[in-house]
Formats: sequence, structure tokens, C-alpha cells
Amino acid sequence: MSELSATAGNDMHAQQVRKFRLQDRLFHHTTQLFALVVLAALVGILVSLSLEAWPSLKAFGPAFLWTNVWSVPDDQYGALAAIYGTVVTSVLALLFAVPVSFGIALFLTETCPVWLRRPLGTAIELLAGIPSIVYGIWGLFVFAPLFADYVQPPLQALLGEVPVIGGWFSGPPIGVGILTASIVLSMMVIPFIASVMRDVFETVPHVLKESAYGVGCTTWEVTRNIVLPYTRVGVIGGIMLGLGRALGETMAVTFVIGNANRINGSLFAPGTSIAATLANEFGEADPGLHIASLFALGLVLFIITFVVLAISRWLISRSMGSEGL
Amino acid sequence: MPNQPVPDQAMPTGGKTALQVRNLDFFYGDFKGLNNVSLDIAHKKVTAFIGPSGCGKSTLLRTFNRMYDLYPGQRAEGQILFHGNNLLDKSQDVNLVRAKIGMVFQKPTPFPMTIYDNIAFGVRLYERMSKSAMDDRVEWALNKAALWGEVKDKLQQNGLSLSGGQQQRLCIARAVAVKPEIVLLDEPTSALDPISTAKIEELINELKSEYTIAIVTHNMQQAARISDFTAFMYLGELIEFNETATIFMRPGKKQTEDYITGRFG
Amino acid sequence: MMSLYTRRIWINRIGITLSMVAMSLGLVALLWILWTLFSRGFAALSWDLFTQDTPAPGSEGGGLRNAIVGSGLILLFSMLIATPIGILAGIYLAEYGRISKFAAFTRFITDIMLSAPSIVIGLFVYALFVVTTGGFSGWAGSLALALIAIPVVVRTTENMLKLVPTSLREAAFAVGAPRWQVSIKVTLRAVQSGVVTGVLLAMARITGETAPLLFTALNNQFFSTNMAEPMGNLPVVIYQFALSPYDNWVNLAWGGALLIALLVLTVNIGVRIAFRNKAKR
Repeated sequence: MSELSATAGNDMHAQQVRKFRLQDRLFHHTTQLFALVVLAALVGILVSLSLEAWPSLKAFGPAFLWTNVWSVPDDQYGALAAIYGTVVTSVLALLFAVPVSFGIALFLTETCPVWLRRPLGTAIELLAGIPSIVYGIWGLFVFAPLFADYVQPPLQALLGEVPVIGGWFSGPPIGVGILTASIVLSMMVIPFIASVMRDVFETVPHVLKESAYGVGCTTWEVTRNIVLPYTRVGVIGGIMLGLGRALGETMAVTFVIGNANRINGSLFAPGTSIAATLANEFGEADPGLHIASLFALGLVLFIITFVVLAISRWLISRSMGSEGL
Repeated sequence: MPNQPVPDQAMPTGGKTALQVRNLDFFYGDFKGLNNVSLDIAHKKVTAFIGPSGCGKSTLLRTFNRMYDLYPGQRAEGQILFHGNNLLDKSQDVNLVRAKIGMVFQKPTPFPMTIYDNIAFGVRLYERMSKSAMDDRVEWALNKAALWGEVKDKLQQNGLSLSGGQQQRLCIARAVAVKPEIVLLDEPTSALDPISTAKIEELINELKSEYTIAIVTHNMQQAARISDFTAFMYLGELIEFNETATIFMRPGKKQTEDYITGRFG
Repeated sequence: MMSLYTRRIWINRIGITLSMVAMSLGLVALLWILWTLFSRGFAALSWDLFTQDTPAPGSEGGGLRNAIVGSGLILLFSMLIATPIGILAGIYLAEYGRISKFAAFTRFITDIMLSAPSIVIGLFVYALFVVTTGGFSGWAGSLALALIAIPVVVRTTENMLKLVPTSLREAAFAVGAPRWQVSIKVTLRAVQSGVVTGVLLAMARITGETAPLLFTALNNQFFSTNMAEPMGNLPVVIYQFALSPYDNWVNLAWGGALLIALLVLTVNIGVRIAFRNKAKR
């Protein structure tokens, strides 16, 4: 350590500085260690799920993914019905959620009077905070009966005879089922998608919008021709975030999907999703192939959501620039 | 590079030097921010750096205490000799440098602590002292910054509760409390009102009897008022460096004269 | 010319109206759910709710005392685990995130785990903990909830720390402070209320989580404070009671749902109000 000055106390300085270097190194490694917890959890999940699912993976192989059977007495398991339910409810949920989220994001960034923006924005975020089990019981006790009485019969009357689509609305209007689950699910993901869209819309430089307004564009035209193209990547990222959330949602779906482990072409029919199957059956599952198959379902769900969320995160960080930095 | 002869203008006087800058280059990534700068900072005098925006004066100042080390893309090459040692050397401990060469920034930045702790924080890093000794040091530092009278009854209040001018004087007190040899001031009054500015200029005048001061300012009149030596910089190069009176009354280079007479900003 | 202009105006009007409709839909949904919660849950609010334990199937009355206490314990321990881990990890990402590829990768993974299905976390803790220790327990439940809370705390801590102006950090370095002191004594302290907010929001997030508890803490019909045993908790009780044929059970389920929702909403709104006041000053 070179002498920096002739003043007394320099040894003290040099000693302190050595101590600081050690402390900084400790600091770096300690914080890094804690940051590793999340990575460790990820690896742990993949490893433990795979280990537990192994008997089932070995017994059924990749056909597990496209076999439509789920029989506990026969010890035969195939994930198709659960995967079908998961994917269909999530996609339908997005179909409803994306336009509504877009409308909300548009409203909050362009139309809403400034003094209302914060309270209304907070209101939408509160929707995200409501626990999913509340959505579930609300869906089961309030929404589903109303749906069965006031929405399903008219829909059936209106579209039941139409060639292809009619089949989607066939079956007894029991209220619970794929469609109901999709709607409840969409209510859950709307705040997430809306909030990402809103953040992304706000990254559009004011000068860009002002130049469009300056040549006489209407608000709609500015949004369609300037804001959306500029934020396209981030918007898609937000949509995929909603998808990722929808795929993994358990409680809201379990209450209203009807819990029937089969595939039926109608949206009014009960079905199941991966998460719902897990919630329903895990508690009393027999050790052996049953539990292993449930773990296999969990593994499939995790991998699907991981991929979707990874793409979403990548898209959003590309759109927001230094967000990922 | 270190063996090139020292240009004449690096040593305008024969006095003692605190820092010797030799052939300093600075890079922001691929962009060269400073080009072959050489000069001497005189001991216990005020040296001012002036020049238009982007000329590199702040960049230069921030090499003196290795502040650029915090940013991975930035690097400096050359020599800055302090007591015979090159500050830029990799083996030179950065914290040690900063304990001896303090800095006050453009924006007043009180730490989120009490006024007392703001001052004590830096002192505690390198010196062990009793509470009463620390109390004395805090009072001494605040006196040096002409702030003691205004805050002596509210030492336990948060530093952020002071006005802008007071906060900046708190930052000056903080810088001198650790008894550095050199104090770097990076546009210390540009965010302040004229009255606070005047107070701080008065302060600098008093401080120079004990500390070497280097100040960056975009206000030429300020440089003319308070500094002993002035360096004029443009586009990363040191154009002219001399006693302040000479720079302002008989500038040697046309560029210097143009800047001083306001032909370009 | 005129008709083109009118057409544009009409398209704009329709677009704006649709956006207002969308907003209204969102508000209607929120209000409808809150209304349902309050009207049905209110009926269950009584002194008994807090003093009686969950009733056996078929028996009358009862309350949610064991579930409330159990949830409280599980939440407490999961936050005790998650908070230090989350804050320190957040500090790591904020301090070294820009200069280390590894840190950038960790942030990426943390963001994904933020939205990962909570039921899978439950499965993981089941396989890791319940199978190895031989039974369901409150500890397993806390662990599962902690794993869900940690990414939230990490992200909010990091975001808060990144808001600290570089000039403040530089000023701390300028007096010769080592990096850890700059990070903890200056940067962290500057945003400590924001970090606390993040912790509270993480707590609100895990309060209503049901799925992970299904496979870890399970439930306990009786009052217990033994974390090594299955532990009663509100979400699982709500799940079981809501789907049951007993009226008093369903009633209690609504009461429990109201309690959870009240806690979550209070924290969310309270945090926003407190933060707005801080920001104004």
C-alpha cells in the first residue's frame, strides 16, 4: 500500500482501507448468496418435480401429453383433458381480457381527466390484489347462477342452430364450465395486462404524439398509428404476461370449471385444468402412479408457464429499454 | 508517455504543487473525453476550470478522486501524481484517495441522516474518536462552512430539512470534516440563489488558506472573482492555463479570448 | 371531403366510448365483487367469528379463530424468512446488476418466478419438505409462501434502490466510504419507506394464496399454535367450507373471504396513501 501523504495517521488509513476491502468482498458474496435463493428455487422445482413425476413419465412416456384418459381405478393417466382445459380457458380469457385491457389503458393514458387518473388506476390495481379464492367463490355463488339463468339460455337460443359454432354452446346451462371459468379468469388477468400496457403506452415520447395531434389526428388515430406500433413489442409482452398468469391460476378456475376430467366440445360443458386437477385430487391421491402423474401435470404446467413468462419478460424489457438493465 | 517533457503552461509559477497531471487521456467507451491534458494544481490555492458545456472540465475534476471508477465503461490513462504516487494506478486504493481528496457536487446531496450524522459519517470511516471529540469535530466543520450558527440547535434534525444553500454548505462541511488535503468543487453554486452563492464564494476564499481547491464553474465571473489560477478547456483539451488575472486580462490564445468575451458559449 | 372528416370523428368517438366502456367494466367488476363480499361476508361477522374455532361437519355455529391465528402465524414466519432474503437479494441486483451478467440473469429469473403458478411452488415444498419430514406442517406452509413473496420483495427493493440519484451515491463514495456502507447506510436508508412498502405488498400478495397451502400446511380443525403440525389457515378453510353442503360452513367461508379481502385492500390502499404523502414532501 503506497504512502499517500506525510501526515500522521496514515497507517490507520491503510489499515482501515484493508478492512474496507474485506468488508466489501464479504458484502458482495453475501448479497449474491441471497440472490441465489431464487435461482436455487427454480432449479429445485425442476429437479423435485421431475423426480417425483418419473414413475409416470416412465410408464406413459410422451404420449402422456396427448392421451385423453384419467382413471384412478385403472391407474391410467393422460394429461390431454387437463391441458385442453388449461389452454382453452386461458386463450378465451385473453380473448376477453385483451380488448378490455387495451380500452382501460387507452382510457387512463389519453381520455381520462388528470385528476381521476390516479384513483381509477388504483382501482384497477386493486382488482389485481383481490385474492383468487375470492374470485372463485364469487364466481361460484354469484356469477355462475346468473350466467346460467340470464346469459346461457339466450346464447344458446341465438347461436345454437348455427352450423359450426352452435356446438360450442350446446349442453345444459349449468352455469359452471369452460366459458364461465374463462370469463372469471379474464377478470383476473385484466389488471395485469392493463397495467403493462399502460406503462408501455407512457413510454411513447410526448413529442411523437404531439406531432401527430399537430397535424390534426384524432385520439384514436394517434393511438392506432403512433402509440400501438411504437409499443407493439411491449404490448405483446404484456399479453403474454397475462397468458402466463392465466395458465397457472388455480383457485378462481377450480371453483367454476366444473371439475370433470374430460373433453367436451361445448363451452358450456364442465372441464378441468391442470391446476384444478391438482387442487382437487392431490389431497387424496394414492401414492404410486396417481401421485406421480399429478406431479407430471405440475411439471408440464411449470414448463409451459416458464416458457411463456420468459418470452413475455424478454419482450417487455426490450420494449422498455433500460428496464432490463 | 510519462517521459514526455512537461509543457510550459503546466507550471505557471514555481510554487508548491498538490497535484501534477501529466498526459491525461479519458475515455467514455470509445469516445475520447480528454486529450493529453497536463497541468499542475497549486498547493493551497484555488484553481478554476472554465469552458463551454461538454469541454471536459467536470470529467477532468472527477479523475482527481477516481469517481469515474464507479462506471464500467469509463477509463483514464496517463498520470496524476499526488505526493509522488500516480492516483490512476490500479494498485492505488480508491477509498484512500477519496479520503484525502474530497468532493462537493453541483446538486446538494445531504445524506438521509441527521445533520450531525452527515458530518460524522465520513469522519467515523477513518478515525476513532470519543463522543466529545466527535462533537468538537462536527462543530469545527460546521464553523468552517459558516453553518454552525444556523444549525447548532438542530443537529438532530434531518439534513434534508435545510434550505438549498444550507444543504450545500452542509456538504462542504462534510467534505472538510474528514480533513482532506484537496477539495474538489463541481459547479457548487449553479443550483443556488445569488445570496447563497455569495456566501459560498466567501467560504471558498477562507478555505483556501488550509486546503487546495479545484473548482469547475460555468460562470466566468465567478472564476474571475475567487480563483488564483484558471484553466480554459475546450472539446477535451486544455487550451490555456495561467494565473487568473492573466487569463482574463491578457489571454494568450484567441480561443480563450473569444470565450471570455462571450463570442461563443 | 366532409364525409371523410365526419367518418373519422365518428370512429374516434366510438373508440373513446369503447375505452370508457372498458374502464366501466373494470370498475363494475371491482365493485360487484366488493359488494358481494361485504353483503355476504357481513352476515358472518360476529364476535363468534373471532372467538370460536371451526365447527365440525354438521354442528352449528362456530367461528374462524383457529384459522385466523393459524394464518397469522404462517404469514408471520413466511415474512420473517422472505424479508431479509428479498432485501439482500434486491440490494445485490441494484448494486451489481449493471456490471454483472450473472446479476442480470438472476433478475430475469426473479421476474419469471414472480408470476409462476403458486400451486407448483406448493408441489415443490411438498416434495422437498413434507415427504422428507413425514407430514404436513405450518413450517412447510410458511416456506411455500416465503418462496412466493421473495421475488416480490426482491423486485420492489431493487426498483426502489435504483431510484436513488447517482449524485447521492457519488457523494457517499466521495468521502471514501466502502461500497457496503454506501449501499446500506446511504442508499437503502434513503428509500427505506419504499422498501417497507414492498414488504407490505408482498405480504398482501401471499395473504390470499390458497393453492400452496393445500399441500403444505393443509388445515387444522382445532386451535393449535404448533407449527410442526398441520396448521389451520383461512384460505384452505374457505376452500373447504365454500364447497360444502353446510349452511354455516358456507357462511363462515364468506366471512373468511371478507377478512382476507379487507386485509389485502387495507394494505394496498394504505400503502398508496402513505406513499403519496411521502412523495409530496
